[in-house]
Amino acid sequence: MSSLTRRDFLHQTAITAGALSMGWGASFAQEAGPADMAIARWAGATGAEAPLADMAVKLTEQAIAAIGGIGRFVRRGDVVWVKPNIAWDRTPEQAANTNPDVVKTLVRLCLEAGAKTVKVGDNPCDRAESTYVKSGIAAAAREAGAEVEFLDRSRFRTVAVGGDRLKEIPIYPGFLDADLVINVPVAKHHRATTVTLCMKNYMGVVEERRKFHQDLPATIRDITAYMKPRLCVLDALRVLTGNGPTGGDLADVKAANLIAAGVDIVALDAFGSELLGHKPEDIGTVKAGFDAGLGRMDYRSLALKELEVV
Amino acid sequence: MRLKRPRSWVQWLRRLCQALFLALFLWFVLIARFRASEDGPGLIRFFFELDPLVVVATFLSTHTLVRGALLALAVIIATMVLGRVFCGWVCPLGAVHALASACRPRRKGRKDFESRSPWQRGKYFALVALLVMALFGVQWTGIFDPIPLLYRSVATAVLPATQYAVQEPATAIYKADPKIGGFHLTSISEPVYEFSRDAIFRVERQSFLQSTGIAFLFIGIVALNFVRPRFWCRYVCPLGGLLGLIAGRPVLRLHNDESACTNCGKCNLACPAAAQPDQRGKWLPSECYGCWNCVAACEGHAIAFKWESPFRKPNAGAVDFSRRATLAAGVTGVASLLALRLPPPARNQQPLPALLIRPPGAREERAFLQRCIQCGLCMRACPTNGLQPCGLEAGLEALWTPKLVPKIGYCQFNCALCGQVCPTEAIQPMPLVEKQTLKIGLAVFDTSRCLPHNYGRECIVCEEHCPLPKKAIYLINKDVLLHDGSTKQIKQPFVDPDLCIGCGICEWSCVYRDQAAIRVVAANEARNTYNQPILPDYGGMDRYAVARASRP
Repeated sequence: MSSLTRRDFLHQTAITAGALSMGWGASFAQEAGPADMAIARWAGATGAEAPLADMAVKLTEQAIAAIGGIGRFVRRGDVVWVKPNIAWDRTPEQAANTNPDVVKTLVRLCLEAGAKTVKVGDNPCDRAESTYVKSGIAAAAREAGAEVEFLDRSRFRTVAVGGDRLKEIPIYPGFLDADLVINVPVAKHHRATTVTLCMKNYMGVVEERRKFHQDLPATIRDITAYMKPRLCVLDALRVLTGNGPTGGDLADVKAANLIAAGVDIVALDAFGSELLGHKPEDIGTVKAGFDAGLGRMDYRSLALKELEVV
Repeated sequence: MRLKRPRSWVQWLRRLCQALFLALFLWFVLIARFRASEDGPGLIRFFFELDPLVVVATFLSTHTLVRGALLALAVIIATMVLGRVFCGWVCPLGAVHALASACRPRRKGRKDFESRSPWQRGKYFALVALLVMALFGVQWTGIFDPIPLLYRSVATAVLPATQYAVQEPATAIYKADPKIGGFHLTSISEPVYEFSRDAIFRVERQSFLQSTGIAFLFIGIVALNFVRPRFWCRYVCPLGGLLGLIAGRPVLRLHNDESACTNCGKCNLACPAAAQPDQRGKWLPSECYGCWNCVAACEGHAIAFKWESPFRKPNAGAVDFSRRATLAAGVTGVASLLALRLPPPARNQQPLPALLIRPPGAREERAFLQRCIQCGLCMRACPTNGLQPCGLEAGLEALWTPKLVPKIGYCQFNCALCGQVCPTEAIQPMPLVEKQTLKIGLAVFDTSRCLPHNYGRECIVCEEHCPLPKKAIYLINKDVLLHDGSTKQIKQPFVDPDLCIGCGICEWSCVYRDQAAIRVVAANEARNTYNQPILPDYGGMDRYAVARASRP
């Protein structure tokens, strides 16, 4: 459990160096600086009087701010791809897709930080023309100024990913050419992988993925490693607790009222697994990611901020 | 039709009118695919509502009037007053034929003289035979009726071919990325491709199983214009035949002024219908399309259309079709009907075609076939491209009627578009919530192919995709013996026949590209009580309302 990744090593070295050069005060300031993971929980009113959109906007803004603001990831002139889960022909309240207001907020933040273009798109399971509309994401993203892009099947580029299980896969070039891909999944139950969170969201950048189901943890690990995640935002405002990943029955939707953001995809997925009632080490994708050194399973050991937002 | 120097502005008005109607028709084909919404089909059924043959044939086969019968009545009244102006001014297939005829090479001399032929009775023969078939319950008019014929041809062949022709070369250029110096060819091809994709076609290219046959028929009838101008309209078209019967005594009639006529025959040469405008008193109102080519062609201004009392009998016989010929056509119709009904499926006898999955809301097979005009509107509208024209698997009677082929496209859970667009309600329109519990078939595992069942591997893509809120596919953890003798626990999928509605997304998403390990069969479909082998488990009713039997 205590394997030291290069990221951790550099991080701790920086802290130590800071402490050595600037004394304890400076070191303390570093600890209080941007976290690597933030969990923003809604502490305000819930129910009909508190619109979900308001909650989505505030939680997203606060979570991003807590990990250093969007400026930590987006430079002026960047092309950013916001990659939500738009897999299913379902409405936002059915919680099978990412909440549209989370996507909208992220698009706005990126543009405010000077991004040249923000694109939004996913390779869905149902028809894209239907899911983009039904999920509310296309309209919300366009409203915030994003380019909503349908993934043209004839344009996927087969790339060598060099994984243990996957050697090459077709990936949509937009994801490869973007300066930053923000991974924005919704936390859901999934019968094959138990949960579907950030890592599994990368299933939406590839084609020919049906056979991945024969070994989802390894294939998802390989795509994740290739995609080199830098920023993930986990939408857990509404979570689907059963009959996932499609859902459809509102009885399976629970209000978790939180959003987590971070730079460590495994940590976020570990947190998401706990949120959905599972031990992270029981989740195949989390374990595979951890074993491959893609991040920490013990998310509490990260520079973590937990916020209550009203 | 010869493109001559025009003398009649009416001729140009008519050409404009034809062009507009053809454009409108093509527009309706193009947009049918985008209207994936619940706000109704809008105007895309317009041409079918205009078509009197659809109304008459469906009335004969079902004794009910289809919607839009009033528009068709308007066409009938217009035909009684003005003659077959529908053929000359409105019919989009007529416009296609007129265009093709205009491309005919001009032959030398006057051998080209287009005189009337007894074969022009062919269209009446076709009409009577088809209507007799309809009367006895076989609706086959759609194969020949110009409106369904053209819609089907454009939707399943012409449009996909056009899209292919534009986008496939662009994709090839994109993949090869050829460059001359620093100039990439893609900097030209990609904008064209993206414009065609995003602004014109707007959806992925559809492809259809029977499109080759449909295309050949279409190309064939267009090519016939090189044998005779508007060959189809003249000799074959049953709608033309119907309108010809109605147009026997129009109020607007052609007059040939004896004192001005020089017998030059130019009017006859210009006539695409062989309606004998040159023979004084022998003009054939049932053949004439009212195109005014003869008026424009006449240098001596001898020819004109004039109003006349409909009670005055025209000199020439209205319709040259004898009682004997009518009888022969009727016998042909009956014989064709009997021939179509020979195979067991056509009589609802075993074995029923297992893979004949009709669209949701389709009536019971016989009632469905009595209404379906094979127009292809549902296939064009289907968002997944899953609705495909039948070949002969359901009998010749069902040629080109729609069926769901899940491996190509599934029935989308949140869509009931096919019933909304169907011009004859062969597929009944129904609210989405009703459609979402309507069984159109049953998913059946082929455990010899299924990975968790036979190969000891995890998979369950089918379960993941199942759109039912409570999942019609359930999983059982099972210890499976592997090749090395060890055991491994695998999630094996099974179908709950009470929940499964047969949408086919499981078959579509199955990892096999050739033949899926889970396939939808027609068994359990709500519309056929004769093919419901599984006794519903009413104990499970609280999970869902059991799909009600289809309406009669």
